[in-house]
Amino acid sequence: MYGQTSIDAVGQVDRAFVLILGFSVFMLLVITALMIYFIFRYSRKRHPEAADITGSGWLEVVWTVIPTLIVLLMFYFGWSSFRALRTVPKNAMEVTVKARMWSWVFEYPNGIVSNQLYVPENKPVKLNLTSLDVIHSFYVPAFRIKMDCVPGMKTYAWFNADKTGDYDILCAEYCGARHAYMLSKVHVMEDADYEAWIQKESGVASGVTGKKVYEKYSCSDCHTMDGTSDIAPALNNIAGTTQIVMVNGKEKSITVDADYLKRSIMDPEAEIVKGFQPMMPPFKGEMSKEELNALVKFLLKGEGKAVSETKGIDTDDLVEEQGCLSCHSTDGSVVAGPSFKGIFGRKTVVLRDGKEVTITVDDAYLRTAILNPGKDIVKGFDPIMPTFDSLSEKEVQAIIDWLQKQK
Amino acid sequence: MASTASQPVSFLQDKSRGSGIFSWIFSTDHKRIGLLYFWTILTMFGIGVVLGLLMRLELIAPGETIVGAETYNVFFTLHGVIMIFTVVIPSIPAAFGNIFLPIMIGAEDVAFPRLNLLSWWLYIIGIAVIVVSMITGQGPPDTGWTFYVPFSEFTTSNVTVAAIGVFIMGFSSILTGLNFLTTIHRLRMPGMSWTKLPLFVWSLYATAWIQVLATPILGITVALIVLERVIGVGLFDPAKGGDPLMYQHLFWIYSHPAVYIMVLPAMGVVTEIIPTFARKHIFGYKAIAVSSLMIAFAGSLVWAHHMFTSGMSDTAVMIFSFLTFIVAIPSAIKVFNWVATLYKGSIQVEAPLLFALAFIFEFSIGGLTGLVLGSAGTDIHVHDTYFVVGHFHYTIFGGTMMGMFGAMHYWWPKMFGRMYNRGRAFLAWAIIFVGFNALYFPMLIMGLEGMPRRYYDYLPQYQNAQVISTVGSWVLVVGLIIMFYNLFSAMKKGKPAGRNPWGAATLEWTVPSPPPTLNFVGQPVLERGPYDYKGVVVDE
Repeated sequence: MYGQTSIDAVGQVDRAFVLILGFSVFMLLVITALMIYFIFRYSRKRHPEAADITGSGWLEVVWTVIPTLIVLLMFYFGWSSFRALRTVPKNAMEVTVKARMWSWVFEYPNGIVSNQLYVPENKPVKLNLTSLDVIHSFYVPAFRIKMDCVPGMKTYAWFNADKTGDYDILCAEYCGARHAYMLSKVHVMEDADYEAWIQKESGVASGVTGKKVYEKYSCSDCHTMDGTSDIAPALNNIAGTTQIVMVNGKEKSITVDADYLKRSIMDPEAEIVKGFQPMMPPFKGEMSKEELNALVKFLLKGEGKAVSETKGIDTDDLVEEQGCLSCHSTDGSVVAGPSFKGIFGRKTVVLRDGKEVTITVDDAYLRTAILNPGKDIVKGFDPIMPTFDSLSEKEVQAIIDWLQKQK
Repeated sequence: MASTASQPVSFLQDKSRGSGIFSWIFSTDHKRIGLLYFWTILTMFGIGVVLGLLMRLELIAPGETIVGAETYNVFFTLHGVIMIFTVVIPSIPAAFGNIFLPIMIGAEDVAFPRLNLLSWWLYIIGIAVIVVSMITGQGPPDTGWTFYVPFSEFTTSNVTVAAIGVFIMGFSSILTGLNFLTTIHRLRMPGMSWTKLPLFVWSLYATAWIQVLATPILGITVALIVLERVIGVGLFDPAKGGDPLMYQHLFWIYSHPAVYIMVLPAMGVVTEIIPTFARKHIFGYKAIAVSSLMIAFAGSLVWAHHMFTSGMSDTAVMIFSFLTFIVAIPSAIKVFNWVATLYKGSIQVEAPLLFALAFIFEFSIGGLTGLVLGSAGTDIHVHDTYFVVGHFHYTIFGGTMMGMFGAMHYWWPKMFGRMYNRGRAFLAWAIIFVGFNALYFPMLIMGLEGMPRRYYDYLPQYQNAQVISTVGSWVLVVGLIIMFYNLFSAMKKGKPAGRNPWGAATLEWTVPSPPPTLNFVGQPVLERGPYDYKGVVVDE
């Protein structure tokens, strides 16, 4: 098996393995040897007349009590090693793990997002696990950890790697066609290497950005970026538009600008857009000035006006990171979703509300397919794609531009 | 004794209630119904074996070998559904229980013969619905036999139809259990007290209680899946406030006791075979009978040991780990008593005994690896890996099916009145034993090394073990072919068998081979206990 990589917990689990497997092999040998010996020793030729024995009370007691004591001992070692796997040291660094068909997303506290797990050696790491679709299970054999990632639920696991190296991450709960390919790696690095990796990655992720603020305060729980306004106004393409708002029960016309957005974030009930319930909490006192400015800038700039501004995004990385490529190929082969090869301009039959409709893949279709995939499902495929509304408008546009190039 | 009467017509040849296929498929004779089950089970077993062979062939090398990933997922789902619901659960109780339970307690038939026929028909209808699920809709189910939500709610494959099939089959199992319970309580012949029951009957009795009490929960669970898929009630769907873990609890509340439905009757068969061939009274009759009941009871309280990594509370893990270790004890008691029965016996090695010994060896591996899975800390590492696959094939194939093969070799001369070729039976046994261990032992090793189950493809470090396992599957199937050829050819060409070729002491060996329609010629006479071999006359 693997060397000791997590302090204590792995050692305890392995001790339980050795004890239980050792006892099992011993018992199996004793039982088998006795059976074989009796078969020869008491064969009908050597032993024509069987002894008249129907049982023995004290033997029954002996072979009830002794196994009971032994299994209680096994229970104890199993349970104490389980406790070690569940007791997270206080100084652990936390990483959020999101599982989805069929890739892993690791989110670091400082905003770095990655498809593989990078950790420093000799540092306890707590993984907060969840799933975006079906049940998956996060499994690293080397660290003896496995925990299900359940949609709508938070679970955790932890490990402490004391040797640098790369270790396999596998999905251990069957999750569909590409279950066997839901693999990743834990890269255990020396502190200096880890710091260098952080520096490199956070070039992209450091500082307060509007998108991060938007995510931090869960704006997308109510506001969409795809133009649908079910419980709250959609926030894409709002800059400069004219809206009717209710002020003290009276209608008033306003233009969406930085001032209005700031007012409606800090004190939403003062000017509610007509037709919506006043249910948004005020963010006064919660959101810092810096965050507010970044968010307003993001809402005014990102949408509509600056859509073509996709520089600075490495789209190849993005589609990999978002897991697009675990279901959609770029070489024409069909995995779980349609291939990206030659997708733009393709005529496709989709199911819309149960009816077959022929569409041509264009900018608008791709946008819907990314932000609200359940709406039009390409015929012959399962409706399993999660919505990607956490993408910024810039990223969505970058992906659409990228898709146009997949010839 | 009855042998002085003129030879009565056997149940196989009886034409008094019509002839042709209808005298079989509408027969209420427990022996004919038992044979109907037997042939159906063997047919489904054949299909399950072919699916298993295809899976093993696919896994002989990494990457695509013979089929794509989606087809492979269908293979293991169907292999599981077919083997568990249509083969292993009915196997010994529905086939051999039906044929021999009434004779062993001196009854003419089961308590409700027509209900018995209905059970078989429900079983056949359930199979038909599962077959329909394979050939209609958007492809056969691909969820694994466990139908875990939310995946089973998302997938567009034919899960709904397959779940309805399992639902119907559940009623077959419940009704059989009910029938056996009533039969054992009400139809024992005069003098057949509870302590004179053959232990095979005791094991069927414990099994029947689980069937009656646990199977309704399976019915509810699969019915809820159908409701989720058809009208979206959202009980298990987190997007609608449901809880996927509740599904797992409901599923295992049945499906763990179900493994005892599978293995208890096989233990009963072994308990008949060993004293017969050792010609010595079973060691610890009461301990074995009580341990069957203990397994049935404690086995109903351990279901969540399938869920140590599911995210349920650590307290629940502790409780279920503890209870799981408790259920190991009655199984161990049985093994010790079997081995003690051999001590100072007068042992004649015949095919049934070899299968019984193979059962003890392989079931011991299955049970001991179960300790690793019951222990919380170690389970985390091997849960949902090949270790689990190896473990349950050692208990279910190495246990139940070896018991079934033992039962076939033990009762074949009684059922068909003809003896198979004994040398060929030894050969088949040896090949099956070698093939079986070559097939499943490497899985235990792979599991310890971290190979997850239900993987269409695998990392290169596992290939050696995968190749050995696949080659083992070929050896095993050669053994199976020889065994079935030997048994089937004996039905016509075998040497005619007498009433009691093994010198056994239970009642079925006092009646002609094959037995007449109403089992006994005149009133049955209880001359001896089930394991009292003094004065038993061997009639080959």
